[in-house]
Amino acid sequence: MTDGGGPADRVWEVFRQEAEGDPMIHSGNVRAPDEELAMHYAREFYGRRQESNRLWVVARDAITELDDPDLLKPPFDRSFKRPGGYLIKHKLEAAKARAGAQPGEAEDE
Amino acid sequence: MSVADVPPTEASREALAQLLLGIADDEFVIGFWDSEWTGIAPMLEEDVATSSISQDEIGHARALYELLAELTGDDADAIAFGREPDAYRHAALMNHPRTDWAFTIARRYLYEIADAVRLEALARSSYAPLAQLAAKMRREERYHLMHLDTWLRRLAADDNGTERLAAALRGLWTDALAIFAPIADEALLVQRGELPEPMAALRARWLEQVTPVMAELGLPGPTPEDLSAGIDDGRTRRTDDFRWLHGEFTMVAASERGATW
Repeated sequence: MTDGGGPADRVWEVFRQEAEGDPMIHSGNVRAPDEELAMHYAREFYGRRQESNRLWVVARDAITELDDPDLLKPPFDRSFKRPGGYLIKHKLEAAKARAGAQPGEAEDE
Repeated sequence: MSVADVPPTEASREALAQLLLGIADDEFVIGFWDSEWTGIAPMLEEDVATSSISQDEIGHARALYELLAELTGDDADAIAFGREPDAYRHAALMNHPRTDWAFTIARRYLYEIADAVRLEALARSSYAPLAQLAAKMRREERYHLMHLDTWLRRLAADDNGTERLAAALRGLWTDALAIFAPIADEALLVQRGELPEPMAALRARWLEQVTPVMAELGLPGPTPEDLSAGIDDGRTRRTDDFRWLHGEFTMVAASERGATW
């Protein structure tokens, strides 16, 4: 590896689609000096076994990153914003317990 | 006229076998030479790419040896691994070791263009199994050529790379022209449409494609001496470098003849 430093160190993130219509899923990255070689290397690393229908190759420095915990993980309880935020676990358990205690009656409820 | 009109003769079958053997050996030997970069290519990504391309060529050789074996009633593995070095029929271009990276790229570029010209013609062969295989190989070779074109231009972009490419190219033109060395009973193959055009026509088309690229990149093209050099022995001349490689690639097969795995 005579090319250890310099422009060859540019990193390109590779996204893969397995079949038409599937989402593009991040697969990993390759190191290459420019877009053209990045494309070649992405093809070798993530497509040479015919496992890909489409590849996206994106320069890592072209990606806008958001990782601010104040924006992504605010300190207040946000569970009510999730589909599972309304917890019915305990209600279910109670219902099961009632059904278990009085078999037969559960079906009438 | 097509093959369907004229049944094959012993002479035409022998000529077709020679054509297939030459192409198969080209792919086989260049695949082995370039696989020598595995582990030491200029960067990790290129290492994987070069190894993968070399593997593709061995795969093409395998398909061609199988086609040949069908034609002659031989065994593809026996053809690939069972011959003495002097019985190989690759072009003299493949007699050289991998040398440095610029040499590998220069040799490979000349070869990839020649292969593209050859496959374009063979995809029109009246021998259907060959036409089908050539069409399949073209799809993969398209990528090989893109990869090599990228590298040739990259190396030619600075003085050091240009000098190294030039040094390699100067010694390679006559051996590259050997890819289009005439084969015995070629006229018969052309007449039957198995080889849609004479080698001389393919050679001219290859030169039309490579020469302008060399001029564009400031690299040496073929000299008049290169172009007039005799290439009748272009597919029979062998070197000690090739004999060494032959020892390497036949080592496993020779360790137990006829073994299956």
